[in-house]
Amino acid sequence: MYAPFELDIPTDLPGALAALANGAGETVLPIAGGTNLIVDIRARRERPDRMVGLGEVDELKGMEFGPERIAIGGRTTVSDLLRAPEIAREAPALIDAARLFGGLMVRNTGTVAGNIASGSPAADLVPPLLTLDAELTLASANATRTMALDDYYLGYKEDARTPDELITRIAWPRLPANAVNSFYKLARRKGDAITVTGVAVTLAAADGRCTRARIALCSVAPVVFRARQAEALLEGRALTPALIDEAAAEAAAAARPIDDIRASADYRRHTALALTRRLVGQAWDRLA
Amino acid sequence: MSRTESDAGARPNVQFRQVGKPLTRTDAPGKVTGRTPYAGDYVMPNTLHMRVLRADVASARLTRLDVSKARALKGVACVLTAADMPDRTSATDIPGQTGQKRLDTDQPILVKDRVRYFGEPLALIAAETRDIADHAAELIEFELEPIPGVYDPLEALKPGAALVYGADNIVAERKIRKGDIEAGFAEADLVIENTYKTPFQEHAFLEPEVGLAWVDENDVVNIRVSTQVIEHFRPIADAIGVPHNKVRVRGALVGGGFGGKEDLTVEVYLALLAKHTGRPVRLEYSREDSFVGHGKRHPFVLTYRTGVTNEGKITAMDVQMIADAGAYVFLSPYVVLYALVAAPGPYRVDNLNVFARAVATNNMYTSAFRGFGALQACAAYEQQMDEIAGTLGIDRLELRRRNFLKTGEPMSTGFVPPSAIWTEQCAEQAWAALGEPAPVQGPIRTGRGLACYQQSYGRLTFLHDTSEAWVGVEMDGTVVVRSGVTDIGAGQISALGQIAVEVLGVTLDNVVIYNSDSAVTPLAGTTTATRALYMTGNAAKQAAETLRARLVERAAREFGVEAGDVDMAFNEVFVIDRPEKTMPLVNLVRICAAEGIHRSELAIFRAPFGDFLDPETGQGQAHPDYAYGAHAVEVSVDVETGEVEVLKSIAAHDVGQCINPAAVEGQIQGGAQNGQGYALSEEMLYEEGRLVTPSFSEYLMPTAMDMPRVECIILESRSGVGPFGAKGIGEPAMTAVAPAIANAVADAIGVRVFEMPITPERVVRALQQRDAS
Repeated sequence: MYAPFELDIPTDLPGALAALANGAGETVLPIAGGTNLIVDIRARRERPDRMVGLGEVDELKGMEFGPERIAIGGRTTVSDLLRAPEIAREAPALIDAARLFGGLMVRNTGTVAGNIASGSPAADLVPPLLTLDAELTLASANATRTMALDDYYLGYKEDARTPDELITRIAWPRLPANAVNSFYKLARRKGDAITVTGVAVTLAAADGRCTRARIALCSVAPVVFRARQAEALLEGRALTPALIDEAAAEAAAAARPIDDIRASADYRRHTALALTRRLVGQAWDRLA
Repeated sequence: MSRTESDAGARPNVQFRQVGKPLTRTDAPGKVTGRTPYAGDYVMPNTLHMRVLRADVASARLTRLDVSKARALKGVACVLTAADMPDRTSATDIPGQTGQKRLDTDQPILVKDRVRYFGEPLALIAAETRDIADHAAELIEFELEPIPGVYDPLEALKPGAALVYGADNIVAERKIRKGDIEAGFAEADLVIENTYKTPFQEHAFLEPEVGLAWVDENDVVNIRVSTQVIEHFRPIADAIGVPHNKVRVRGALVGGGFGGKEDLTVEVYLALLAKHTGRPVRLEYSREDSFVGHGKRHPFVLTYRTGVTNEGKITAMDVQMIADAGAYVFLSPYVVLYALVAAPGPYRVDNLNVFARAVATNNMYTSAFRGFGALQACAAYEQQMDEIAGTLGIDRLELRRRNFLKTGEPMSTGFVPPSAIWTEQCAEQAWAALGEPAPVQGPIRTGRGLACYQQSYGRLTFLHDTSEAWVGVEMDGTVVVRSGVTDIGAGQISALGQIAVEVLGVTLDNVVIYNSDSAVTPLAGTTTATRALYMTGNAAKQAAETLRARLVERAAREFGVEAGDVDMAFNEVFVIDRPEKTMPLVNLVRICAAEGIHRSELAIFRAPFGDFLDPETGQGQAHPDYAYGAHAVEVSVDVETGEVEVLKSIAAHDVGQCINPAAVEGQIQGGAQNGQGYALSEEMLYEEGRLVTPSFSEYLMPTAMDMPRVECIILESRSGVGPFGAKGIGEPAMTAVAPAIANAVADAIGVRVFEMPITPERVVRALQQRDAS
């Protein structure tokens, strides 16, 4: 069923990074939940010589809720998110996404870092994290660096991670006081389905003006992306239906969708607009 | 769940002790505790593992097939190609089970020179392990030279289309010509014409196809397999060239069938390799194998032209149906026959023309699926009823009321169904149960839909269907039932037990049922066509009644009373109203045993035997009888995204008589889910015949998150031709669900999506087209 591969099971982070580092001439892949990778290996789309299992690396687990920032380990599972009341308060969009993420078995094993690193344009956890201004910590045996999630994707299934690096941590600042953060997954059924159009929004307001706008979309372009022009239209202004329409149109215009078995590009553009308008409108109504 | 009885058709003085109660099914404890072995759980020492190598294009000439490297691989026991059995074919037609002449519909077991569909088998491999078999498959070299194919049945009918079958691609053609169609349309105030499209559907049983075969000491090929039809032992024997008594099929409890395990699946491959290697062989399909390895539901294009008066009375109906048969015949001729018979639905249409065709293409072959053509007809006629009601401005239920076929009236084929027709009662109860409508909010609109149906139970009468069951009482008063019937998860065998113990006056925990062995259990026919309860239930009842008569007669002598005064209940035999005259059943059985009174009985039940419908007029008796009922739903539709949510799903069916209401409800719940997926989310997409949705990540059935609570309203007319007046519920449970949803969506948004599945995108497009016009 599977082509043969070697499997390392390091018990700590240095061990894992060392195992990834020594991959001269071979294809070495880290595996955490494996909910994408195993499927790809079975289908012979991936043919690793060696895999580094992260299941025993406890440094990659855990959540920290600081006064200003929240950080979670890369091996945090989707179910871990759902079990954390503080995440529900501080990152409601992430919970919106997590609740409809795969099926229960996938949620129990699939990890946040894995969802990010898969590079899928349909990665549901990424739009919420983008609207939270999330930052990634990437570690290798030699160095550790941090980068904005927004800078992580370079193109379709291309990302900034080098083969010897792991996403060890995902962190984001707490939401400002008067803020709304939400995500909507449009799919061909309610749960356990690949997203057709996904939109996440963060809106904060003070004194009747929008002080922060973040809009991120998945499944409507080669990569998950932030609709920066749409955000720029909203920030600093009092939102009106006309302005929201304009921003939604900007977001849809920034999409570069394709036709696939789930939906046409036209439908994706149509729903990117409709859902952006709806989520921004609903957020503004709640802030007012 | 609620149950309704009515005086109409009900038999007086019926008092059941076991039947009609939601007893724990005999198969439940084993399944719940995991003790039940399915076909894939059986193991034998020294087993070889099989793999089927399949074509990766849909229309091609096989120009080269070299298996030498695979044969040379260590651990490979056998690789078979068409070259090893050049003239071998396997049957794809049903009537072989009942001795009727088969149509010439055989399919080559393996591709000899021509590939006609994506996934057609090229080679069979048996190896020491599954991994070696997979590796061997990769070592087989083949070249397929593409041939232009045809992938749309309408295209396949055009002159010059690529030929897949015969001289014109027409696999089957059926007609109804009833009354005077011209006069009927002349009488109409209005003629409404619409075309509806229905999609492919995958059975998606939990348990993919699997089997284990070995040759025993009598040189009999034994096959333990997940199937709806153990009597495929005959076509299996024909296919491998041995006498019929040299193949034995042993079923197991089946993890879902829905028609997808009605045709041969893995049996012939297993039999061939068991025979060739002399070792046990096992073949288990992966989910992806299963998606390409068995036939699908026929997509239909249905054009309904209906003449109506201003009062809503149908005066004439002309129906044209085209079904995509795919690359081989299989059950297509019968599926279009069912669609033909069902064309007007549960309505009285005296002037009726129907023309139904199955057309070959290079798509996956299509065959049996719950509803079997009658369901596709319902998808169209019930949407058409709403279109008529909307045009005339008549309430949708009222329009139906004015046209319902009534008990004792002739249906499409001129046949008068022998049972009660309770469509109206079912429709009224389902519609009323929708209750208060859900509120409308912003872009979310709500709508309601109703659909009624007529669905046969029991097979086509020209098949001369029979079923056998054996019932015996052991020396300790326990009961054994033996019957070849397969149990595909709906409680088929438990129902036999419940019937036998009702008649014999024992309790269900005192019965053991042996089933599904073509060599040792009396042959009961197929578990298809909503026939298992009707046919085998009647056989079990007959056997039990004959046995009971003997026991009661002996008891009457013992008690010194007439046989009519003796009753049996709860493991006791007693004289009615004489509490002192009683004895345990076990005592009576011992008396019978001591005197050599036969303590068992084998019965055969024969359905009505008929001829083919008249080829020109389509008149005659197609089936033994029909079931009627209705489904009502309320949906919400997001008019911006096109998303549809089913908020309420209510089924009302006249099942005749419940044998086990919990099992009936299980069928209804499953039917509601199966129909909802068909209406909204399940989509098999083929590109030039290649399936591009071959797994559950693309093929989306409703999950618990998508399903509302399904309310079951069970009516019991006690008028059916099954045991105790039962009808059937296996197929009927699904038939009306999809059109009810389609009608609700149209009601919500004011425009109809004429093609299923009603995807969010199709909803948006329909709204955009309406706004543009």
